[in-house]
Amino acid sequence: MRERSFFQRLFEPPSLTEMAPASKLLTYAILIGWTIVVLFPLYWVLITSFKLPFQVNDGPDFIPFIDYQPSGHAWRYIFVELGNDTLRPYLNSIIIALTSTVLAVIIGSLAAYALVRIQYNVKIGTIAGFIVLLGATVYSINRFGTPWHLTAAIALALFFFFATSFGRYFKRALKNNDILFWIISNRILPPVVAVLPIYLMFQRVGLLDTHVAMIATYMAVNLPIVVWLMRDFFAGIPIDLEESAEIDGASRIRIFATIVLPLARPGLAATFLLVLILAWNEYLLALFISTADAQTMPLLVAAQNATRGPQWWYMSVLIVIMIAPIVLMTILLQKHIARGLMVGAVKG
Amino acid sequence: MRVQLKDIRKSYGSLEVVKGLNLDIAEGEFLVLLGESGCGKSTALRMIAGLETITEGSLMIGERNMTEVLPKYRNVAMVFQSYALYPHMTVAENIGYPLKLQKTPKAELQSAVLAAATKVHLEDYLERMPRQLSGGQRQRVALARAIVRTPSVFLMDEPLSNLDAKLRGAMRAELKRLQAELGITTVYVTHDQIEAMTLAHRVAVMDAGVLQQVAPPKEIYDNPATRFVARFIGSPAMNIVTGSVADGRVTVEEGAVPLEGYAPRERVSFGFRPEDCSLVSPESGMMKARVFSTEMTGNETIVTCEIGQDHVVVREDKDFDMKPDEWVGIDVVPEKARLFDYDSGKRVHT
Repeated sequence: MRERSFFQRLFEPPSLTEMAPASKLLTYAILIGWTIVVLFPLYWVLITSFKLPFQVNDGPDFIPFIDYQPSGHAWRYIFVELGNDTLRPYLNSIIIALTSTVLAVIIGSLAAYALVRIQYNVKIGTIAGFIVLLGATVYSINRFGTPWHLTAAIALALFFFFATSFGRYFKRALKNNDILFWIISNRILPPVVAVLPIYLMFQRVGLLDTHVAMIATYMAVNLPIVVWLMRDFFAGIPIDLEESAEIDGASRIRIFATIVLPLARPGLAATFLLVLILAWNEYLLALFISTADAQTMPLLVAAQNATRGPQWWYMSVLIVIMIAPIVLMTILLQKHIARGLMVGAVKG
Repeated sequence: MRVQLKDIRKSYGSLEVVKGLNLDIAEGEFLVLLGESGCGKSTALRMIAGLETITEGSLMIGERNMTEVLPKYRNVAMVFQSYALYPHMTVAENIGYPLKLQKTPKAELQSAVLAAATKVHLEDYLERMPRQLSGGQRQRVALARAIVRTPSVFLMDEPLSNLDAKLRGAMRAELKRLQAELGITTVYVTHDQIEAMTLAHRVAVMDAGVLQQVAPPKEIYDNPATRFVARFIGSPAMNIVTGSVADGRVTVEEGAVPLEGYAPRERVSFGFRPEDCSLVSPESGMMKARVFSTEMTGNETIVTCEIGQDHVVVREDKDFDMKPDEWVGIDVVPEKARLFDYDSGKRVHT
């Protein structure tokens, strides 16, 4: 065989499992470039947290001990001088993010499973009836001052009468996909549209600036994501397994708990992590609902951009301690986000 | 336990897939539901299991009407074509799952699991995960899970069709022995006639949602009730030639076969099996045909001939040697021949 030229060797893969030298070079160049884009801000935040204000302003300095002398003053300020003012939001963030995520994942998976395994057939007429009655109830309470429990009871009774009598004559119905789309559409709506009504609602019931309000809001906001993601994971579980368990004598709840959930573990872990991060970093809703007692970390970070201008050194410390638990969580959950769990279930 | 299906129907909207199925399966019987894919046999099995609702008719298992009973209360065990092993559980946990649901005490559960595993030769694999097993071993786990709790009925949905041919033969023999040993009523669904013939006490042949015939394998083979059954059972299949009956003989395009006692008919499907006919010289044969192709299989030669439009297959011994397009005569053993109504496909008796 003829000796191959330099260019041929550069662009031809040396074997079936290896890339050509040129494409290898390009791939690694892109990967390294992207790694720098991702990691450099983290590095910058970390070194900035050990800088004094003048070092930040004089900068840019990148290498500790050479460019500048690191100092723990920002850390001392955040943890010693501010003390509880840092720890309270930190604790709030942990409690609110974890609780809302756990609840969203539990409720969302149940909903997703139902959407995968149960065929719903909701008559459009029934839904229209419900909306009309709901509107009438609200109007009646506000306009005529009817007692709310009585009005609601009458509306409910009317609804059931309507649904079981006239409702059946409507042909058009919503199927599972429509229900799923409706759930997703709740998330498509920009939160800023809903934030004022949410604020007023919690103000009315006196729950502003409480954990309950924050947890309820975050749970509701993240539920659609859980339903959407988990639906695909549940749909990937062979129905044979569930039918087999059914014949073996398991109840529906039992099948869900002992067969479906363990098999959806990678999906659960991934969804949990995603929703946790969304709740952890949420800013807009927190800004409205919490003021002091239920304040979360993103608000505290933003607050460092105060009247004296952005205080990068304090902000960096807060960002570092904010990133830490999420990184820890990701490492913990990583081993569950493994693939190939379904191998051996069906076929040979 | 005895299983009775009384006029069972299943429809999806306006599409009826099982059209009035009547079966009376005796205690300890091995019944095979045989048919092509989409004939409703799996649906019938799933209705016995309770995985599909019964549109019409009633199902009795033992003395109890099970038509509206949830699967978990039917005490049936099912082996799926896909095995349906729980991939996150060990072999022992898989086998013990039905007992665990019944809250069986731990010691009792363990001994039952070991006994079931021993019956299918899996006692050394109890701590493995399903993914670490071969196809045949997975099949055994599925079987062990079915036998571990002495169900009232075994239901098997093409359990061997995912195995390779050699393993399938071995598992078939084991399955037959296991069923005889346990004496538990078994309903077995397959599209493979060899499985049906070798395993069954009785075979129920279904076509397009209609039960064609229920009979022991030999009876099904010798006396098929319809042309469909005749064509479906046997390999190569029964030959069907179109002809007419008159004056004590069946006349086909290229000859006639003497058949006594049949009423005259304009059109009839004349059936005979490849082993019930032989090739002779074109002058002396009852029917005249042309050789279409020959296939030597080792112990015999399968000769396909053409009579008019119809193909006829004849089993000859392995030394048979003729070229395509040569003329031959075909003789048929008259008492082994069967006649079917041309339009309805039903058997015509003398």
